[in-house]
Amino acid sequence: MEIKDRILVVEDDKSIRNFLQTILEANHYEVLMANTGTEAYGLITSMCPDLVILDLGLPDMDGMKILYNVREWSNMPIIVVSARMYEKDKVEALDAGADDYITKPFGTSELLARVRTAIRHARSAGVNPGGGQIGSFSTGGLVIDYDKYRVYVDGQDAKLTQNEFRIIRLLAQYAGKVLTYDYIIKEIWGPNMNNDNRILRVNMANIRRKIEKNPGEPRYIFTEIGVGYRIVEPD
Amino acid sequence: MTKYTSKSIMHKEHSKKKNCIITFLILAAVSSICFLFQRVVQSDTHVPLLFVLAVLFISRFTDGYVYGIVASVIAVFEVNYMFTYPYFEFDFTLSGYPITFVAMLTVAFCVSALTTQIKNQEKIRLEVEKEKMRGNLLRAVSHDLRTPLTSIVGSASVIIDNAAVLPEQKKMELIRDIKEEAQWLIRIVENLLSVTRINGENARMNLEDELVEEIVSSAVIKFKKRFSDVKVTVEIPQEVFMVPMDGVLIEQVLINLMENSVVHGGKVRQIKVRIRQKHDYVEFLVEDDGHGIDSTVLPVMFDGNLQASEGKELDGKKNMGIGLSVCKTIVKAHKGNMTAENIPEGGARVMFSLPMGMEGAYGDKR
Repeated sequence: MEIKDRILVVEDDKSIRNFLQTILEANHYEVLMANTGTEAYGLITSMCPDLVILDLGLPDMDGMKILYNVREWSNMPIIVVSARMYEKDKVEALDAGADDYITKPFGTSELLARVRTAIRHARSAGVNPGGGQIGSFSTGGLVIDYDKYRVYVDGQDAKLTQNEFRIIRLLAQYAGKVLTYDYIIKEIWGPNMNNDNRILRVNMANIRRKIEKNPGEPRYIFTEIGVGYRIVEPD
Repeated sequence: MTKYTSKSIMHKEHSKKKNCIITFLILAAVSSICFLFQRVVQSDTHVPLLFVLAVLFISRFTDGYVYGIVASVIAVFEVNYMFTYPYFEFDFTLSGYPITFVAMLTVAFCVSALTTQIKNQEKIRLEVEKEKMRGNLLRAVSHDLRTPLTSIVGSASVIIDNAAVLPEQKKMELIRDIKEEAQWLIRIVENLLSVTRINGENARMNLEDELVEEIVSSAVIKFKKRFSDVKVTVEIPQEVFMVPMDGVLIEQVLINLMENSVVHGGKVRQIKVRIRQKHDYVEFLVEDDGHGIDSTVLPVMFDGNLQASEGKELDGKKNMGIGLSVCKTIVKAHKGNMTAENIPEGGARVMFSLPMGMEGAYGDKR
């Protein structure tokens, strides 16, 4: 028998539930549905889903509360869905431990891609709990050699500085996922760095000039405006 | 919410202090002028007049009417105490003084009340103008919403009512229409949200230093998702440009301009987005290879639309009226400029520029 990944959808709008259930079941997931935050919390604790798709605007509570609550005891992947367009909310959700964030209205292919990424990340984190990176990361013509501390583009050494290498290595560790500016700054420059993300921007601009053919049409590292950066998934 | 209230109380406290200081300063200034005059001239007829003038200024530069009235009372007593014989003594028994006293108080009161009233009227006028702008926008929006909504409801009903007899191909066609119209609605709503971000009560523009290349590339990626058959190229100088802006809003402007090219430019196959520096500004150019902009539309394309939809119904399908005026509003809010022209070799060019702020270009730091 085929073992399906179990997805809990927490959403109060009927037609959105309807189409999410259809599309997820059509893609071979087992789908659980919750209308309210209380119901969701019950299902999360009793059914242990492989992934939660969580709408932040619920009738009985703020979805953020569930996020904080679950993160106290579990690392299960959570994708937050919201109609709010402000980047501040996205950053808050990501910093609170959401694995990804998707804004209404979204397309089904976009959603499915995020679901796959989030589940795969959860799996690989389990296999490699230390998160230590060995070997290399490669996507398209970009190769990050973790052992030699070097990045190659189409076989050429991109000559990144040490901080530039650490940034790109951090992004690659969570490839496919958006890392917020604050998170990257804290990881690279430490917790005492003030929240000025200019230094990160300048570093990113330099990295882009070294690894992308045209900084205006990047192929490897993408910007989520007001939120953070994301590197494409490895091949 | 609590944050907001405490902030507004703080603001009130602050303006109270400011109003008191203004009142005090003006009264002090007039008093010293009168004092100086008293040394040189014998007569004191100018004194009440100068104090009435003081009251007028106070009413003009403080909020509400309280300060003007308080000032007029103070003025009357001060004139009596300092500037009428016996000096530096209160004496209300002088012959005819009660009349002067009452007259001066009345004049000061009236001046204060009138000034305040004028100020209030100005406020009301601005309020009305804002209301009118909102009304215009609402009208334009409901017009732009009605068409796609009609098509969505219509197509859906056709499918439901004729499910058994409709050929599969026809059904798909109708469903595709529904999707397309719904996507159009999404774009309108996104634009409206952008406007609330500029004009909203609690919402504010979120100005931050952004890398121009990041905003452009993000806009191009989003545009390509919707129009995959149009080729977009980006030309960006090697220098790093950091410009203070609300990144999401400027991204919206770029997306609107590219979409506008496709929707109105005829057979547009290629769009070029170019960035260049011009003095203290960074210029964003969106160029297409379509049939250009009609010469009658060119001079009014950014401003005419909202007003036009008030009177005659604009019936062009998919008019980007909202989109373009949103662009203009956003760029203006950034203290930038927006213009459009036709390229001699064919196609349209819309450009906008944003001030680079204090530091401007970083140069090529490596």
